[in-house]
Amino acid sequence: MFKKSQFIIFLVLILILFAFSIQGQKKTIVKYWLWLDDPTDPMFPDLVKQFNSLNPDIQVEYELIPLSQYYDKLVNAVGAGVAPDCARFKDWWLGAFVDANALEPLDSYLKNWNGYKDVVSNLWNTGKISAKSPVYMMPHQFITFYLYYRRDWFKEKNLPPPTDLSKFLEAAKKLTDPSKNRYGFGLRGGSGGQDQWLAFLVAQGARLVDRNGKVIADSPEAILANQWYIDLYRVHKVAPPSAPTDAYAQVLGAFQAGITAMMAHHVGSSVLVTQKLGEENVGVVPMPPSDPKKPATMVTMSGNVILSGSKNKEAAFKFISWLTEKEQMDKWSRSRQGQLPVLKSVASLPYYRNNIFFKVSLDQAKYAISWPPLPGVGYISAQLWQSLMQRALLGEITSKEMMEEIANALRKK
Amino acid sequence: MLSERNSYFNKWEKRVLPFLLLLPAFTLIIGIVAYPIIRAIYLSFHSFNPLKPSIFKFVGLENYIRVLNDPIFIIALKNSIIWIVGVVFFQFLGGLLGAIILKQNFKGRAFVRGLSLIPWVTPSVLIAIMWIWMLDGNYGIINDILLKLGLISRYIPWLAQKDTSLPAVMIADIWRGIPFFAIMLLAAMEAIPDELYEAARIDGANSFMIFLNITWPLILPTVIITTMLRIIWTANHMDLVLIMTDGGPGFSSLIIPLMSYHTAYKQLNFGYGSTIAILQGVFLVIIISLYLRLLRKGESIY
Repeated sequence: MFKKSQFIIFLVLILILFAFSIQGQKKTIVKYWLWLDDPTDPMFPDLVKQFNSLNPDIQVEYELIPLSQYYDKLVNAVGAGVAPDCARFKDWWLGAFVDANALEPLDSYLKNWNGYKDVVSNLWNTGKISAKSPVYMMPHQFITFYLYYRRDWFKEKNLPPPTDLSKFLEAAKKLTDPSKNRYGFGLRGGSGGQDQWLAFLVAQGARLVDRNGKVIADSPEAILANQWYIDLYRVHKVAPPSAPTDAYAQVLGAFQAGITAMMAHHVGSSVLVTQKLGEENVGVVPMPPSDPKKPATMVTMSGNVILSGSKNKEAAFKFISWLTEKEQMDKWSRSRQGQLPVLKSVASLPYYRNNIFFKVSLDQAKYAISWPPLPGVGYISAQLWQSLMQRALLGEITSKEMMEEIANALRKK
Repeated sequence: MLSERNSYFNKWEKRVLPFLLLLPAFTLIIGIVAYPIIRAIYLSFHSFNPLKPSIFKFVGLENYIRVLNDPIFIIALKNSIIWIVGVVFFQFLGGLLGAIILKQNFKGRAFVRGLSLIPWVTPSVLIAIMWIWMLDGNYGIINDILLKLGLISRYIPWLAQKDTSLPAVMIADIWRGIPFFAIMLLAAMEAIPDELYEAARIDGANSFMIFLNITWPLILPTVIITTMLRIIWTANHMDLVLIMTDGGPGFSSLIIPLMSYHTAYKQLNFGYGSTIAILQGVFLVIIISLYLRLLRKGESIY
């Protein structure tokens, strides 16, 4: 008797398992990779839960990977044939991945997507590799570089806000006093400093590629613009001596600690900066150009892509397009990951219009320039720029040599 | 009939069973050690980008010729030698001193012994971040102390200067590795019978002579094995360099394993990256065999 009852329980268990596995088969599993600046933020897990309950036939499974290892891991996953269906992506990597046919063109999916016209039109370009190429990356969150300055220090010395580069340099020189451990500008020569550098280059009118996609990073203008940037450290000495290896943490720390008077960064640091220094002491201006009539800054986009090896592209697009819809985007932009929304309907909400840091950033979107979508940009942003910049700051190579190496890497197929 | 079966079984037991029992270990070694090495050697003769697996080109010795003419490799090699010799030497010296101190009888010895392990058991990422802040050029505590002691006149950006970046990372690694030597050498010292010391003291030997004639020769086998292990680890580990300077500024703190990593994962040139790693392995074999030959004479005393 006892044995019989055991057998029945066993049978029931098997049946339950079987039923579950049948039910599981009906669901399409979409694998999604992403990085989050603050991995403890519950915003994203909540979004996934919401999506999964709205779409009972799709099950999104996500994996969080730190940004510093993200590129390596994605490259290896593609090489090994175990890439996710869709992934968060940076414009830096587009060139290399499109070159390897690893990304799915999204045009046919976008035709049927309602939100298409709501995206700031200039920003679709960040997902393409040339003017005529298909869109490979759905724009999602972006940043534009602007300039923070210590309003109290500027007032003290009677300096005008650094709205152009000559005012910037003038102020940086006057506010530098090594004996008090004070410096005009927090130059970032270490990890991740290439975005700030590019912002200063384009603000001087220099470009890495021209309108037709031809590499002009070694043009006389670009070499001069780079020289100007190097001189901030070598000639004018307005940056802290630690600048060659300073990364985000050091540059932010020095600005917060009252060591530097100006810092170029984006909206992501606005809360940290104002909390520490007080809102009244922190001013913000658009990236100062050398010619006030030709403003320019750097924009970098993080969007979403579908990997070409995916077997669930429809479901994957459903998820990444859902993330780009108004409500979800607003939630993301207000979270601790807070960056700029690509949708006009979100950007026009009072929350963003009334915040000076968001406002300045969003206003720059019209004329901001991104990294050219060439295969070499992946290597430049991951490693090459840093070692070249550091050697240039130490005086081991000239601005010309540096820009020639950058140009060579951009020209490499 | 029975004896025949027995002999058959005996044969099987002697000839086949041992191999069968070795199979799990053998499989593991093949999978974990042999395969990656063979794969790396194979890759080093090819040009391979993991994003484009379809293009897998045999290039012969091209990578090897290129690496020996690569000025960056020469810099990395030089840095690696400074790194290995400096780090292991000072770790050993500190460890030996630590072991001698910890062997003394004093109150709370067990507590101090436990405490001294902290650098060794701290995750390397934490060590790196901690030292980055301590060495910070704008408000680091090391600058603060040195300035107050009057040893420097202004703050020094240790990690941002080409002459100080490698030594600064070395100091962090030396700090981390001292407990390893201290504990290993202490264990070897504890194993030395007290009678030897007693006899020496009766014979009128002073502490230095006791150390030189009893302690040192008896801990020598441990010294050899621990330094050898440490040389291998120090040569291979790039965690602190990666986080603290990433080889910079410029190439001033670039060591060979980091260069191999950069080439493979940032430049996506796995063939060339493997070549660098293979050469590092070859150099390591040469260094270790030289080292063992040098010290074998010492071993023969006992």
